[in-house]
This record gives sequence, C-alpha cells and structure tokens, in this order.
Amino acid sequence: MGFQPNMKVEGVFYVNSTLEKLMLDELKNACRPGMTGGFLPGVKQIANVAALPGIVGKSIGLPDIHSGYGFAIGNMAAFDMADPNSIVSPGGVGFDINCGVRLLRTNLHEKDVQPIKEQLAQSLFDHIPVGVGSKGIIPMNARDLEEALEMGMDWSLREGYVWAEDKEHCEEYGRLLNADPSKVSLRAKKRGLPQLGTLGAGNHYAEIQVVDEIYDKYAAGKMGIERLGQVCVMIHSGSRGFGHQVATDALVQMEKAMKRDQIETNDRQLACARINSVEGQDYLKAMAAAGNFAWVNRSSMTFLTRQAFAKQFKMAPDDLDMHVIYDVSHNIAKVEEHIVDGKPRTLLVHRKGSTRAFPPHHPLIPVDYQLTGQPVLIGGTMGTCSYVLTGTHQGMTETFGSTCHGAGRALSRAKSRRNLDYKEVLTKLEGLGISIRVASPKLVMEEAPESYKNVTDVVNTCHAAGISKKTVKLRPIAVIKG
Amino acid sequence: MSNIFKLKLSALGHPNPADFNCDDEKEYRSVVLWLEDQKIRHYKIEERDGLRGIEKESWKEAYDTYQRDLVSPVAEGTPNEQLNWILSYAVRLEYADNVEKYKNAKIEKPKQAAPNVVSSNPLDNLDFSNPAFKSGVERVSTLAGVGPHPDPKFRLSALAKILKTSPHPEPPSTEVNLVEQPSDVLKLLFVQDLRDLQTKINESLVAVQTVTADPRTDTKLGRVGR
Repeated sequence: MGFQPNMKVEGVFYVNSTLEKLMLDELKNACRPGMTGGFLPGVKQIANVAALPGIVGKSIGLPDIHSGYGFAIGNMAAFDMADPNSIVSPGGVGFDINCGVRLLRTNLHEKDVQPIKEQLAQSLFDHIPVGVGSKGIIPMNARDLEEALEMGMDWSLREGYVWAEDKEHCEEYGRLLNADPSKVSLRAKKRGLPQLGTLGAGNHYAEIQVVDEIYDKYAAGKMGIERLGQVCVMIHSGSRGFGHQVATDALVQMEKAMKRDQIETNDRQLACARINSVEGQDYLKAMAAAGNFAWVNRSSMTFLTRQAFAKQFKMAPDDLDMHVIYDVSHNIAKVEEHIVDGKPRTLLVHRKGSTRAFPPHHPLIPVDYQLTGQPVLIGGTMGTCSYVLTGTHQGMTETFGSTCHGAGRALSRAKSRRNLDYKEVLTKLEGLGISIRVASPKLVMEEAPESYKNVTDVVNTCHAAGISKKTVKLRPIAVIKG
Repeated sequence: MSNIFKLKLSALGHPNPADFNCDDEKEYRSVVLWLEDQKIRHYKIEERDGLRGIEKESWKEAYDTYQRDLVSPVAEGTPNEQLNWILSYAVRLEYADNVEKYKNAKIEKPKQAAPNVVSSNPLDNLDFSNPAFKSGVERVSTLAGVGPHPDPKFRLSALAKILKTSPHPEPPSTEVNLVEQPSDVLKLLFVQDLRDLQTKINESLVAVQTVTADPRTDTKLGRVGR
C-alpha cells in the first residue's frame, strides 16, 4: 500500500527465491536513471492495478508474472459488480482474448508413437496451418462466422467438428452467453474469418506430449491419465487477429469514456470504462464473442488433430480414445460469485495470464472433476515440460480461484532475438529428441526456453502456496509452431 | 454359423467342407454319421445302425439318444447348436490324440501397418469361468446381501447395481463423522445424478448431430504463414 498513488487494496505476488530475484531485478533496472519506454516493471503494474476503481480483495501477481500492456501478464484482479464505479479494462484481459490451452488424451504409448513421430509431426503441421498470416482449411463464410461468434463451441458441435463430451470438458462449456457479434467491428471480423482453425504465431503451439510423472493418481485417473508414457496432445492458441482487433477497438472507445466519466488511473495503458457504461458493456459483449471465436478455433484444431492421428494410425479417433481432458482460458474477464469478507459478492474477475482453478464441488466445473477440482493446464515453453494441476479450496479463498498460466517471459522478445541464435535453439531441441516443425525458424529464438522463466519453478511455487495442486507432468516429443 | 462349420470340418479333414449346407437335412445327417464313424467313435460299429439310417424316420430318435450319450449340454438346442457342439467335441478329441503335433502349431499374425495398440483394460481379459472369479463374486455377494444365482455374471451385475446406487461407508464413529459422512454420501449421490444427467444431455446432442453435422475441410484454403 502506498507504493504507487491511490492504491485501494494491497498488491501481492507469489514467488520463490529464483523468481523473486527476476522480479526485483526487473524493478531495479527500470529505476535506473535514463530508462524510459517499454512496459513498466511487473511490481509497479500490480500496484497500479490495485489503484483502479472498484477493486476488491487484492491485486494478485502469480509466479509467472511479467510486464505487459497495462496489466502485467500473470496479474488477476476482481471488481465489485455492485459498485457503480467499478471498471472493466481490456488491458486486464490482454490482446489475445481467451488465449488458452486444451489437452487431448490418447490410449497410445510413447513406444507406439516414437517410430512414426516425424510423420505424425508432419501430418499435424499439414493439417493445422501455423504462422503469421496463415489461413485455415475449414471452409467458412461471413454468416458462419456470425453464428460461430454467438454460439462458440455449440457451433462446432452443430457442424460436427467436435464431440458432445468435448463441450462437457471445457471451461464455460465453450460458450460465453453474453456474446454479441453486432458489437464487433467489421475490421475484426474480416481479420478473423480466414484465421479460424489456425494456430497463429508467438508462443502458440501444438505439442505431442507424453506423461512423465503422476503426482496425484486419483485425480489423474479421473482425467483418463493412467500410466507413464501415455501420449497426450496439447493445443495452445487463442482468438488470433480477431481478439487483437476487438481489444484495439475497445481501447479507443474507452479513452473517450475515461475523459467523460473522469476516471483516473496511474498509467495511460490502463484504459478502462465503468462496467455499467455503454463502452464497458459493449466491450464485454465483444470480448465474449472473441472468447467464442477462440473456442471454435481450438475446437477446429481438435478436429484436425484427430484427423491427423486417425490417418497415421489408421484407426478412428474414438478408438484412440482422443477425448478432451479439459480446455482452459488464461486471458479473460468473467462474472463470478466469490466470498469476500465472509459475504457472497458478484465480481468481474479479470484473469490475464492467469488460469481459473476452481476447487472440488464447485458448481461451475464438470461433473467428472467434482471430486478432484478443476484441471488446470499449464503449458510450458517449446521444449520444456507442461503440467496439469487441480484447483484447491485455498486458491478459492486466497486468489479468487486463480493460479499461474505458464512459464512467463524472463527476456523480452527483442532481447531474445539479440542474444540467441535460432540454429542453436533448433539443434538443442533435436538433441532432446523433440521433433519440431516451424513456419518461421527465425522467430524461434523469441520462444526459446532460455527466454522464459522455469515453468517448474512457477508450478512448484503455486503448489507450495496451496493455490493449486500438481497432478501430472508432461514432456514434449514433437512440437509444431508458428 | 455355416462358416464355423466349414472351418471345423476342414480342420477335421472332411472330404468337402466347402460345399456343406447345414440346412439340408440329408447332408446334416451324413455329417453327424461321418463324425461318429471317423472321429468320435463313441459307439461300437454295430451300435451305429440307428445313425446309419439317414433316410429313416427313426434317425431323429437315434440322434437324440446319441447326444444324451455324449452328454451334450445343448441337446435341447437348435440343430445348428447341436452340430456345432459335436464338431467342437470332435476337434477336441482330435487334438487330445495328437497334442504333441498341434502344440507346436504357430498362428501366423497378419502384418499391421500401424503399431499394434493393445487395450490395457484388465477386465477385458477376465475369465468368467475361473473358480477364483466365482468364489470372489460369492464373497462380495454375501457381504452386500445379494441372493444366490447359478450365474456369477448375473450376480455381478446385481452387485454393480447395488454398489452404484448405495454407497456403503463405515458407520460413523466420532461426532465429526456423524455430520461429515452423511454429507459426503449426499455429495456422492449428487455427483452420480449429475453424471446421469450429463450423459443424457450428451446423448441428445449426439442425436441432434446426426441431423446437423457435416464437417468439411478444404486443403486448398490452407496457407502456412511466415
């Protein structure tokens, strides 16, 4: 409190000693004379968020936090819906709206896949277009897009791209009900239309992974993960250019609203609007449409992944048991009920680079996970491990049912490009026995494991803090990337 | 059925197994006679007269007696079931006569293009006729109060039904348990109801999908970015 002006609640962040050093170094560097430009350091951003109108509880930084536009990535904050001054901020959701992770299981063992790993990676690469400017192979016209934006995964289900069980195992059942495509600009729709069913670039990827360690046998069993070496497929993607355009459009609108309603923030990037204002409502409806876009996108890639596997193994996806374990969103704002100071309150929870992690018996998680808590999928970086966690009661009370989302950057993109050589990065991955297919090898070093915090540090910190529980560790054997 | 007959007949060295038509009364009878004459030899030669009268009405009677004498478990079954058992019996005798020869027979596995994925569900390989299985079912049934039935599989399904609908926790011992356990039971029952509901929802969705679903892809549209 008092670290930045006007703080209404405390700012906290979860770290271990390694991650703490990274955080404080970032702050120290930013405070050196002559350092201007770029994002503010994460610690300052947490404090600035704590000064936003209507915030309740705490402004919380998760272990994978790093600075981003307005809000740090890995910052979650909840705003009281009953307070007329409460705000919604696109910076608190992020540009890649409903970026998230989906995990499919199979009944294959590592030894089934190893001999045809290269062909399988190539087949995935052929099915799922990747990279900046890639275009999808699922034919869609403007009307299809409107319907998809409104219906989310229900559209994919209706058209037969996914199974009924997929919807069951997806956050929000794959559809945000308040989506309104008419609140989305034509420009966003034009950008989005050809991109459905594509992975995108940046940190997005599809990986073939194998189960490396099981920490919680019961919870893993509930997810259909029975043994070490079992093969899974992880898809990490979002709403592509569509979500980016929705966020950009909203920022412009909100700057006007801030002037009109005299909303003061510590940082220009924290553009926001009152939840009940026209701009606030319009953004939430457009954001929901972008959320639905992302779910249709991940669903389309699920379909394509199943096709790729079915072709390689000459077996139906059913027989390969290719069920969706879960699908999480780690860039989104949602209305949720939480207990604050002993009373139930309706809150608008912003999670940017933070994953929902609801505890056992929460009504919003699928019936299969009622006894274990919600599966939380933590994607590592290219070539490192990924984790499946479960939500806990402690997380529900301490962090509004939120936990980390991935590794989190340690080096900026520009710095990674300067310091690393892409050939070395690729050779290193090959050395680890990981097949890799990339659209743009020169961008690989931005995503090299060296550019990120150690995902194991991040996950262990969350586990030790009790805000989520380790269940399964996955190790990649093939990666496709933008 | 006729395919199984053909396989077994050719295994036994019948002169023309491929042409055998089990629905033809005369062929049926002559195969039975051939089996007794060549393979089973349960009767002495002179006792086989009844079966030898293929054209006569009395053949049926002789056949019934023959089956009873062999202690066929399907003597009351359909003609096809009866013949199938006799064929199997003959194969068994043939095997018993030449165990050494057949033991070394190797089954040629069809080559598979894709790796062979073995289902690891141990229940798939359960031997229901195993005495250990029977006594296990017996034990659990007594515990759960399931009444007797000759078929252990039948009892097992009764058990599954009981265990699914009524959880059996230990009786509460401490005061905390007194409150917690009933609430745990309620939670489990609720989860089970919810699962049933979700399954029904999924079934309805699948039913609708049969009408609406038409997933298409067009690889010409695809473009890999930079």
